[in-house]
Amino acid sequence: MTEIIVIAETKDGIISPVTSELVSAAIVLGGNPTVIVPGVNDTAATSGAAISGVSKVIACVGEQFSNYDAAAWASAIDACAPAGVIICAATQNGKDLGSRLAARRAVSVVQDVVAIDGGVLTSPIYSGKAMQNVSLQGDAVVSIRANTFSPSSDGGNAEISVMNQSADLKTAVREMIAKASERLDVAEADIIISGGRGMQDPANFAHLERVADTLGAAVGASRAAVDAWEDISHGMQVGQTGKTVNPSLYIAVGISGAIQHLAGMRTSKYIVAINKDAEAPIFQHADYGIVATWQDALPILESELKALLG
Amino acid sequence: MVYEALDFYDIESECTEEEIMVRDMVRDWVDEEVIPNIEAACREGRFPEEWGKALGEMGVLGMTIDEKYGCAGMSYVAYGLVCQELERGDSGLRSFASVQGSLAMFPISAFGSEEQKMHYLPKMASGEWIGCFGLTEPDYGSNPGDMITKASDQGDHYLLNGAKMWITNGTVADVAVVWAKLDGVIRGFIVEKNDPGFSAPEMTGKHSLKASVTSELVFQDCKIPKDRMLPSVKGLKGPFSCLNNARFGISWGAIGSAQACFHSAKEYALSRIQFDHPIASYQLVQNKLSWMLREITKGQLLALNLGRKKDAGTWIPEQISLAKMNNVDMALEIARMARDIHGANGILDEYPIMRHMANLESVKTYEGTHDIHNLIIGRWITGIQSFTRTL
Amino acid sequence: MPEIAVLVKRVPDTNAKIAISGDRVDLSSVKWVMSPYDEFALEAAMMHKESNGGTVTAITLGTPDCDKVLKDAKAIGVDRIVRVWDDSWSDLDSNQVQSALVSALKELSTEVVYCGKSAADTGASSTGPGVAERMGWASVSNIIGIEFEDAGVEVLIPRNIGNARTGVSLPAVISCDKGFCKPRKPNVKGIMMAKRAQVEVLGADIPTSSINIVSHTPPPQKASGQKFEGAGNVPTVVAALRNDANVI
Ligand SMILES: Cc1cc2nc3c(=O)[nH]c(=O)nc-3n(C[C@H](O)[C@H](O)[C@H](O)COP(=O)(O)OP(=O)(O)OC[C@H]3O[C@@H](n4cnc5c(N)ncnc54)[C@H](O)[C@@H]3O)c2cc1C
Ligand SMILES: Cc1cc2nc3c(=O)[nH]c(=O)nc-3n(C[C@H](O)[C@H](O)[C@H](O)COP(=O)(O)OP(=O)(O)OC[C@H]3O[C@@H](n4cnc5c(N)ncnc54)[C@H](O)[C@@H]3O)c2cc1C
Repeated sequence: MTEIIVIAETKDGIISPVTSELVSAAIVLGGNPTVIVPGVNDTAATSGAAISGVSKVIACVGEQFSNYDAAAWASAIDACAPAGVIICAATQNGKDLGSRLAARRAVSVVQDVVAIDGGVLTSPIYSGKAMQNVSLQGDAVVSIRANTFSPSSDGGNAEISVMNQSADLKTAVREMIAKASERLDVAEADIIISGGRGMQDPANFAHLERVADTLGAAVGASRAAVDAWEDISHGMQVGQTGKTVNPSLYIAVGISGAIQHLAGMRTSKYIVAINKDAEAPIFQHADYGIVATWQDALPILESELKALLG
Repeated sequence: MVYEALDFYDIESECTEEEIMVRDMVRDWVDEEVIPNIEAACREGRFPEEWGKALGEMGVLGMTIDEKYGCAGMSYVAYGLVCQELERGDSGLRSFASVQGSLAMFPISAFGSEEQKMHYLPKMASGEWIGCFGLTEPDYGSNPGDMITKASDQGDHYLLNGAKMWITNGTVADVAVVWAKLDGVIRGFIVEKNDPGFSAPEMTGKHSLKASVTSELVFQDCKIPKDRMLPSVKGLKGPFSCLNNARFGISWGAIGSAQACFHSAKEYALSRIQFDHPIASYQLVQNKLSWMLREITKGQLLALNLGRKKDAGTWIPEQISLAKMNNVDMALEIARMARDIHGANGILDEYPIMRHMANLESVKTYEGTHDIHNLIIGRWITGIQSFTRTL
Repeated sequence: MPEIAVLVKRVPDTNAKIAISGDRVDLSSVKWVMSPYDEFALEAAMMHKESNGGTVTAITLGTPDCDKVLKDAKAIGVDRIVRVWDDSWSDLDSNQVQSALVSALKELSTEVVYCGKSAADTGASSTGPGVAERMGWASVSNIIGIEFEDAGVEVLIPRNIGNARTGVSLPAVISCDKGFCKPRKPNVKGIMMAKRAQVEVLGADIPTSSINIVSHTPPPQKASGQKFEGAGNVPTVVAALRNDANVI
């Protein structure tokens, strides 16, 4: 039986919840994993050890972990990790690190796994238009998308060993620049929340913006809103004579769902509609429809998302 | 809506890789720069200057002319594909390119002296200098042979007198290729913007080709140096050989207009619901769409075949007449049908339909009217010319 | 003067419908394009050359069908176009792809590599960092800004708390996101150059694959639309977006 190694995902020196999901994935793949917890010190390792199902924890400690540096992280972690199948989170850095580790060990990497069934790993390809199912024939690195496995519960008590492993940085962060608060363009965004005439006043778009901020979304609008209100710029218009968008999630608020609007967003992967009129045509196209006024729905949406996404 | 070109008989596979690359280059540019801005340009009745520059940067102005003169030396099929994509944006844009390449640069390259070629062609290819072509006069349209604009030899210079009408790009042109009679024989002259006695007032009030500049050219004792006459052509052959090239481009261009109308009609028919179903599901509408596809496909095959003949040098002018006449005619009919399918929406400038339809009315008339081409073909069939009553 | 390489990949147009026939995707009727992020990588490579001199080589891996993306790159102005392939290869995994590319990069004495942050087909984002590791180089991924310096580059990388202005000394692999530059367009002269350009074909020794593609399958059908009465159901919908739809 090959060994399974989970690379804990950390944020600000704390183990992220997705790590417990990776442990569940490891168990499905066939074994109680060794969890490697990278950090500038070993404090996060205890919460790794508390995840049930973990066989042991290695705190991989070194100065290089203060900032993400692909080469340094990979060399330090590689030195701590035994041979076997490595699992990491399919986050931006997780995938990057996973690729490095795989290359270091001259094995393959399977990214963005969303299901594991009888040794077959499934990942979306062609931006989700098809799924690829692969089996491993030896060691490999596997990255797992968040929310694929339910997190393994707490209550474990694995043994922790500490390995000091320093590595040379190949990049140097010179400055952190606060992100400009400039709005995302709807044509670029992966999540869009759009408002229509039902928003009643352009000032009410502030509610949409707050939701957008929590989601990292762009704010769009129907043409009725763009035509009625100067503050709502044409660049925000979604639809036949506006922009054609194709996000993973489109939230339509106070938009009736006219055919010209649909022409611009019909191919969104998921559509959520909030409209007070249960008969509004938008509901025929929504994956999740909520019959409610935005005044009632948006504050709840905002607080739910804040609770979930911080 | 992402544009998907109709290519029912896989014309693409008949083209070379670089022809497709050139087409895609222009297609992308038209999608990004032209289509979002064309309605505004039409409303303001102007040709956006930056489009001329962009065409120069892309290198499609006079693109069949030799590389020695700063041009690309590409095939006529490539030129046709470019015209097609430009006219999918707007016939006015394609007109600009036709006039620059086929009507102004071509005569200089075919009939000009080496000095004239080196002086004018590179700057015209880059779009730095704009050209126009003055043949039509107020009283002589289909019958240019009887033109009255005259040149007289003054020893060390020529004097031009007369007026041209309906001249595309006239007001904005730096260089005009003007056809005038010298001792009763038609000759080509290069007139520059600042030549004394030359003016080019713009004609206004057009309901068609609104994004194209149309002008009068007025010559009042216009003095031009001796070396501005095109040395190597005399008679109607000069202007007609230019027209053959431009007409060839139009036969492709019209396919572009037709494609734009077809695409819009198809999308609309699929999304417009009446009597509980998309109108695309009704047989009468399908019949219209099927007819459009049939005509576009025939037009494409005609244009491609003609293009290959042009590249091989095995064409005859009557084949160009047929292609120009047929393809403009089919495009106009498709525009009208597309308008019908769009219902009331079809009259709005939200859709490209009415603009193409109105544009195509000009295209039907210029470069030899539809019926003049009928007469050209009639003469080929019967051997009898029927342009005038004097047999 | 740096030897610059840019990795470009031929992928189905992102608007293409992906059909499955039998247990494999059927790509016989899709339109092929250069993977969109690679266009930004290509632009960055050209900018690098304009700033620091050197030569730009566009490299792809694949069958002769992939020559088109190299020609596209040539039309933009790269100096050399190289395709890595061996007719005995098929269905390469990341380990094999990276080995093959690394072999070509070494042969070309490359000093800096640009690539897209992910390819539009696999979406894996593994090639850039994987190639860097095998070369023993630095790598930065998902960059959204770049400045060229004498012995390196300074890039902007988005992080949770802001954008990190990061110095990278060469050699390095730089994986590019979109948005920081406008990829230049070809022109007719470039296209004529591309027509005449010769694709250099390189082979490589590659390891055997350690994964086996079992099948391609259509994506799971999403449940039909659900409608909830009242704002009290917002939490239910948020949970569904998170757990079922996986979009937040
Ligand atoms: C040629 C053409 C092109 C067009 N192009 C576009 C385009 O690109 N994009 C586009 O969007 N439209 C376009 N339109 C316009 C389109 O037909 C519709 O008029 C427009 O989309 C309607 O916008 P709306 O849904 O915001 O407004 P309405 O249709 O007025 O809908 C408002 C909705 O808000 C709901 N509502 C009201 N109060 C509340 C509340 N307090 N809480 C929750 N819901 C509430 C109502 O129930 C209603 O469903 C085009 C039209 C034409 C003719
Ligand atoms: C927008 C626009 C741009 C133009 N740009 C240019 C340009 O750049 N340079 C240039 O030189 N010209 C240009 N023209 C002019 C164009 O070439 C002429 O309009 C065309 O040649 C027809 O001439 P006409 O308008 O005088 O019509 P006419 O010749 O008067 O024809 C009117 C009608 O009579 C018919 N007709 C004429 N003779 C006969 C016959 N013998 N038998 C049967 N029917 C006949 C025609 O088919 C037509 O239906 C442009 C025209 C337009 C509309």
